[in-house]
Parts: sequence; structure tokens; C-alpha cells
Amino acid sequence: MKSTERIIQVLATVARIGAGVSFLVLIVAVLIQVTTRTMGNSPVWTEELTRFALLYLVAFGAGLSFRTGDMVNVDVVCENLPGRAPRMLRLLSAVATAGLALYLLPASWKYTSIGAMQTSPALGMQMTWAHVTITLLLALLAVFGALRIVGMLTGAEDGKPEKAIEAPEG
Amino acid sequence: MEVWVLFAVFVAGLIVGIPVAVTLGLSSLVYLLMSGIPAVVMPQKMYAGMDVFVLLSIPGFILAGNLMNQGGITNRIIRFAQALIGWVRGGLGLTNIAASMLFGGITGTAVADAASIGGVMIPGMKKAGYPADFSAAVTAASSTVGPIIPPSVPMIIVGALSGISVGKMFLAGAVPGIVMGLAMMVTCYWISARKNFPRQAWQGWGEVARSFGGAFWALFMTFLIIYGLLSGLATPTETAVVASVYALIVGAFVYRELKLRAVPGILIESAVSAAGILALVGFANVFGWILVSERIPQAIADAVLTFTDNKFLVILIINLLLLFVGMFMETIAALIILFVPLLSLAQAVGIEPLHFATFAVLNLMIGLTTPPVGVCLFVCAGIARLPLTPVVVAILPFLLTNIAVLFLVSYVPGFATWLPSVLMP
Repeated sequence: MKSTERIIQVLATVARIGAGVSFLVLIVAVLIQVTTRTMGNSPVWTEELTRFALLYLVAFGAGLSFRTGDMVNVDVVCENLPGRAPRMLRLLSAVATAGLALYLLPASWKYTSIGAMQTSPALGMQMTWAHVTITLLLALLAVFGALRIVGMLTGAEDGKPEKAIEAPEG
Repeated sequence: MEVWVLFAVFVAGLIVGIPVAVTLGLSSLVYLLMSGIPAVVMPQKMYAGMDVFVLLSIPGFILAGNLMNQGGITNRIIRFAQALIGWVRGGLGLTNIAASMLFGGITGTAVADAASIGGVMIPGMKKAGYPADFSAAVTAASSTVGPIIPPSVPMIIVGALSGISVGKMFLAGAVPGIVMGLAMMVTCYWISARKNFPRQAWQGWGEVARSFGGAFWALFMTFLIIYGLLSGLATPTETAVVASVYALIVGAFVYRELKLRAVPGILIESAVSAAGILALVGFANVFGWILVSERIPQAIADAVLTFTDNKFLVILIINLLLLFVGMFMETIAALIILFVPLLSLAQAVGIEPLHFATFAVLNLMIGLTTPPVGVCLFVCAGIARLPLTPVVVAILPFLLTNIAVLFLVSYVPGFATWLPSVLMP
């Protein structure tokens, strides 16, 4: 039970750093774009880098958003059911999330490898590095989904999003 | 047949509480498998959905709002609003609404507005003798102007879905947002006069000037964003990033309430919020592609048009449908799924896309304050320590006001289209 929590913590930290760094790259690229343009000639690669940074931001952040509840769900029905039903449905939701992501991984890997046939026009980067963001997104979603399942089964967590807005009683 | 399974899986997933993004993915996957379409289409369509130019601005606008929010703007904006209209009967209620309108020009999310302004105003109003349910209701209702007054994340999403420029979308929301705020003020005054709610003493022009001086740097960000978009000097993404840097400087060095060591945390929180929205956009793009390839938008338009092609009735049908969906679904998810199908219906009876987009967003915002799934309602009832029912009753007059404004904007296109046509011809 302790080890599940530790794995979640380590992975969440890595993903948070990844999302933060991607966002920082996006911001710096845009600032370079703005400042160099006011001075006359801006480099051609900033726009492309911004787009790639966004894709990495989503890749690292999506799994986290599943944990925090930023990936929204409709909980009005499931959380108001009696007894153990809400817990069972939260477990089902984690299974569905992890299952979908896991099932799509081979397809997204195929899509990633298709990227090798193309290079990006400005940075000259193999498109594999852009396409791989979808694989990373799905992989992290699968991992965080799976960890929620394990956490719920071992009793380490109740499966509610971290920042759930609870409906007041009545 | 496959399409019915698509919808069945989607609705079932929603009901059992699976995240909307995942539900969209699951139902799309089931459809693809049944139709014998290779699953590799899915990552490809997800990528295409997220790699859209204007979506790049979403994390920046979220960050700018969060930085400002942590940088001590709430109290300054409330003080300025109070100096302006606190002296009228029901002054703190009016202050609450005015503060939401000013706040809406800085952040684009209603929940942030409800939580920040509610955190200060609900206890303050209770202390001044206002009923708790009224205080919570006025906060929840007024928080919905936030995403209508620019900047606005839903407006960016609509821009991405329809190809209308983000600048135009933002401007289209400005007049309806202000009208909605003013209409709520009238309602608030009317209730306050009948129930004899207190008013504050007029604090003089000196206080108006002083409090404006305090709020000025926060309010200047609204100007900065609008100017950036209108001047053509900057893209929406650039505007958002520059606004973030501006918010950082104001919060840390002018107001000095933003701790620099809190900034990395705010950056990451904003990134995660944005990632949640963009992942939804990615999965929804697969779902949307299926709807279009099955000609669902056309089928919906045809179905309604065989029943009536009266523009007046079609607008009514669209609004009733969106109000109903908005009761149960989160705004952005509802927009992504319904916007394109309903747009083809709207265009078939001659409604301008910009006009349609504006009243669709306005409509779905109202859903934030309706039971059973009104996030702003939950937040405000939580702050006021009330159960939901009294707040739902107290918000009714405001809800009716907002619906009246919605129909006004729906039937008089000028509210939405006039400002963009003057400033961005």
C-alpha cells in the first residue's frame, strides 16, 4: 500500500515537471518570437517549437488531469447512488480510462513510427518526436488509471479526484 | 446501427461518471471497431485536433488569470467596485456583480471568479446583514459573466471549431457580457429595495480615485489583451503569453502579493488544467470526425427543417436544447460535441456563425448555475455553508434575468455582431 503511494508520487512529480518544462518552453519560444519580431527578423522555428511544446504539455498533463479532476466527468448520478455503488463506478471509470488508453497504445505507436517518414519544415525534426506525444499521453493515462485501480483495491485511496468540488447536501 | 452504438456508449459512459474525454474515446473506438476502420485513425485524429493554432493560447490565458488571481487583485477590484456602487441600496450585491464583470476581463473561467470573489464577498455580505442564500446566489449568478466578457476559454474553443478569429469571438462576447451584468444589477437592486437590504455610505470621489489607482494595474490587463488582439500586432497565443508576463510583474513587483516561489506551482497547475481541456479536444475530434462522416449534423438539420424552417422557432429549439444539455454537462465538453452539428442547422436558416457562437456560449454559461450540475452553484453554496436548495431558490430571479438576456442576444444579432463589425471589419 505504501509502495503504491510512493510510485504515484514519483510518477506524478515526473509528469508535473514534464508539463511545467513544456509550458516554459512554450512561453520562452513565444517571447523570442515577439521580441525578435519587434526588432525586425524573427526566426522561423519559434512557431513550430510552440506547437510541439503544447503537444508535450498535453502529453504530460493529461494523466495528471485525470487524477486532479481537471479532466471533467459528470458525477451527479454516480455519486448520489446508495451504498457502495459510487465506489464501484469510480473503479469502473478508472478501468475504462486505463483500458481505453492501453488498447490504443499499439495503434498510437504505429502512428508514431509513421512520423519517421516526415520531417518538420522549420526545425527539420523527425515527426516521430511530435507524434510520440499521443503515445506518451495514452501511456501516462493508462499508468495513472492503473495506479488508481491498484490504489482503490489496496485501500490507499477512495478514487475521488484530488480537487473534487463536492455538491452540498440537500 | 454503428452510430446508435456510438451514442449509447457515450451516454452510458457519461452517466456512470467516466471522464467526458474518455467516454468520447471509448464510444469512438467501439464505433471504429464495429465499422472495421483501423484504430490508427484515432491517434491521428487526436493529434490533428490538438495541433490547432488558436488552441495554443489556452494555457497562456489560464496562466495569466491564475497569476493575477494569486497576485492580490480580488480585494482591489472589490474595493473599486464598492467605491463605485456600494452606496446604492443592496450595495454589496451590486458590488459583487460589478466585481465579477471587472474580474471577467482578467480571467476566463467562471469557477475561479465564484471562488475568489465568493471567498471575500459571501462572508462580507453575511456580516453586513444580507441573507446567506442571497449572497451565495448573487455570487454564483454573476460569476457566469466571466467567460462571456473577454478573455474566454470557451470562446477560443469555438474559434477553433468554427474558424472564426479569436479576436472577433472575444469582441462578440463583450456587449452581451456587459448587458447581462447590468441586467443582473437591476434584478439585484429590485430585490434589495423590496427586502430593504442595507447600503454602504458614499465614500467620496477620493475613494473612487484611490481604489481605481489600486485596481488600475489589474484592469489594464483587459486593455492589453484586447489591444493585442485588435491591433493585429500579436496572435492570440502571443497576447496570452505577454499577459502572463504582465500578470507576473504586477503580482510580484507592483502588488507584491505573489510569492515568486509559488510561481512554478501556478505554472504547473495551469498546465494541468489546460491539458485536461486539450485532451478533451483531442478525443472529441475523433468523435466529431465520426459524426461528420456519418452526416449527423446534416441529419439533425434536416430533421429540424422538415418540422420548421422558421428562424424564430429554430433559435428557440437550439436554445432549449443547449439549456437542457447545459444542466448536465460541462460547458467545454458540450460545446465540442454540439457546436458543429448545431452550426449547420443555424446556418441553414440564415443565422450568422459569429452570432450563433455567441449565444451558444452564453447559453451554456447559464448551465453553470443550474441544478443538478452547476459547478458555480456548488462552489458558492459551499462557501456560504448552505445546502443547495435555498441557493437554488434564491438564484431563480437571476437565472430568469440571464435567460431573458440570452433570448435578447439570440433574437437581436446586433448585440453580438455590432462591436466586431466596427472594430474588426
